[in-house]
Amino acid sequence: MQRRALMQWMAAAGVVPGAAYAQTTAALRPGKPFAGTTVNVLSVVAPQFSAHEARLPEFEALTGIKVKYQYVPFASMREKLTAELVAKTDQYDVLSVMDVWGPSLYNLFDPLNDRIAEKKIDMTARYPFAHLRAARDGNGNGKNILGFPLRGHVQLMFYRKDVFNRLGLKPPETWDQMVDAGRQIQSKTDMAGVAMYYGKTSGQNLMIWFNYLWGMGGELLDAKGQPAFNSPQGVAATQAYVDVLLKHKVAPAGSATFNETDAVNSVAQGKSAMVPVWWWRYAGLVDPKTSTLKSDQIGFAPLPSMPGREATTYTNTWFYGINRSSKQKNAAMEFLTWLSDPALERSVLLDRRLNEVVAMQTSNLIDGDVNLRFGGMHLFGAQALKGARGTPLFAQWPQVSDILEATISEIVAGQVTVKAGLDAAAAKARRALRA
Amino acid sequence: MLRRVPLHVWLLTPALAFVAAMALFPLGYSLLLSFRSWKLAQQDTPGQWLGLDNYWNLLSDDTEFLDSVWATLVFVSADVAVTLLLALAAALLLQRETRMNSLARVLLILPFVMSPALIGVSFRFFLNPEFGVGHHLVGWIFPAMADKVWLADTTLAMVAVIAADVWHWAPYMTLVVLGGLASIPKETQEAARIDGASEWVVLRDVTLPQLKPVLGVVLILKTVFALKAFDTIFTLSNGGPGTSTQTLAYFVYQTAFNYYDMGYAAAAAYLLTAALVVCAFFYLRLLFRK
Repeated sequence: MQRRALMQWMAAAGVVPGAAYAQTTAALRPGKPFAGTTVNVLSVVAPQFSAHEARLPEFEALTGIKVKYQYVPFASMREKLTAELVAKTDQYDVLSVMDVWGPSLYNLFDPLNDRIAEKKIDMTARYPFAHLRAARDGNGNGKNILGFPLRGHVQLMFYRKDVFNRLGLKPPETWDQMVDAGRQIQSKTDMAGVAMYYGKTSGQNLMIWFNYLWGMGGELLDAKGQPAFNSPQGVAATQAYVDVLLKHKVAPAGSATFNETDAVNSVAQGKSAMVPVWWWRYAGLVDPKTSTLKSDQIGFAPLPSMPGREATTYTNTWFYGINRSSKQKNAAMEFLTWLSDPALERSVLLDRRLNEVVAMQTSNLIDGDVNLRFGGMHLFGAQALKGARGTPLFAQWPQVSDILEATISEIVAGQVTVKAGLDAAAAKARRALRA
Repeated sequence: MLRRVPLHVWLLTPALAFVAAMALFPLGYSLLLSFRSWKLAQQDTPGQWLGLDNYWNLLSDDTEFLDSVWATLVFVSADVAVTLLLALAAALLLQRETRMNSLARVLLILPFVMSPALIGVSFRFFLNPEFGVGHHLVGWIFPAMADKVWLADTTLAMVAVIAADVWHWAPYMTLVVLGGLASIPKETQEAARIDGASEWVVLRDVTLPQLKPVLGVVLILKTVFALKAFDTIFTLSNGGPGTSTQTLAYFVYQTAFNYYDMGYAAAAAYLLTAALVVCAFFYLRLLFRK
């Protein structure tokens, strides 16, 4: 998008130009009552959190509280949190957790309602519903807020802008258009159309599938909480999803085993022209260390949808909460107050030394400077978040996710038909939900 | 009273206490867990006593478990057979004392010291249909395989995880067999040759019978290691496509640390342990028989 066009669009959308949100110091307790205390944080590895850590001297100067981060890779994070849940230690005061793990780890967190009310933080104004829901107990519908959403994603369609311009193509608005664009690209270049990821890795092959499912009017579970993904709509959606590779062949053959990273690498290395993926992947697509592409070669658009239907996006949210066994809960809340401030998030987004796109707070999603820096990506994000849906939150989700993930992989490997695979998966999921 | 306890018992006490704390307690605790319900996602302490229900459900009603038993049988039998044959062949080739053989023996240790998880990741790259050297090499040698996506095919994916594990273990087992070959009295082989026996007959009737105890140890140890194999499979195929390379060890991990069904996972782990105990029994018999 051209800068002038973006400015005009932002003005029409009521975007706030360079708004400042300096609420932190007002919300922190005056007089440094917790000076000398140390708050220990267990965090998943993410550049965004390293950027927070780099800004800790500012917090320590304001409060006198020392903060120590311990990072755990994503693959080990859930096990680490489970160990903390079982052992009930106070080793960490603040813990980060991903939404889908939440229901099995609710007992690890101290509800923050009173503390948030005391700080007069308006969570509903601050966060889009899709992110705030992830930090609530009761499978997203409970009354307790267990943490502050700090990292979350929406899905976008990243495409090779230079290739699309050369071939006179427009970014696809529907999944069918994506297939058509893929066909044209494959017939006129040596690139694959779209890098999909049907391989097994932590449920990643379900992330785009959800959009097909919801786009065709299907649901994961019915009103009684039983599997509904093998409904006629679910079967049609899954068929359309796997046909990108199996029938239309506009995805590289490796998509059958690709995970999200493989698919992004395929675009970054010039092998594929499109990839529907989380927005945070933008940084890797334009980073010279991981990509052969430059930022002007990569365009982005909202995720395609089904014809005549609203665009959907599946979201993913990480929140930071206070360990129920912590002995430093007050100091931990001071830290979370500072950490969750929109101004901190904005400063990371606008830090030219970084390429961090993750914004959680409504004010930053529509911030003029943020959108100018990232070519309007966050407005797409804000738009997508209005209709966004997260993973259904229930304790058996990891098991149901594994069943579905294996089924998609089986279908793509030709072991089973879509209908038979989904029916078998539904039977297994019913058993998992009963147990 | 305490004075009557012999000194050697005192000296052994710290070691026994350590073994009890680090091995016997977890074993006993997990055995108890296997008879109980403990869904960690719902309760943070073990729940009701189920008797043999977990075992019964595993063996009668859980197709995923039974599929993983089958995958384990395929993986272990092929993995052990190929490793044993390769180790024997390589040891026979390397037994002569030459400079190149000495260098080769040193290099053999390298695959063994690599992390199994890293081997899985490396093989994943190796077989990547876009960038993988292995994928392109196989396609060049066998053009019919050029379009095959290894990890998306149930048979080839199993071949890939077996190949990765063989690559890891065969060199070490070669060194073990080399040790066995070195201990065979050369006179027995020379006597057979003087009697006119061919090299094949010497190998079959003289070398192999004397090597049998070492091959037995290799067979049993490799079976134990193959039954426990997890890291390579996790990072290479993730149990897929579908659940075609999901072995028992992988099933136990999934059930315990992904589904948080600790009692059920403990029962599955004990069924795996039973297989390991059988192997250990034969191993000890082989080691200590007179």
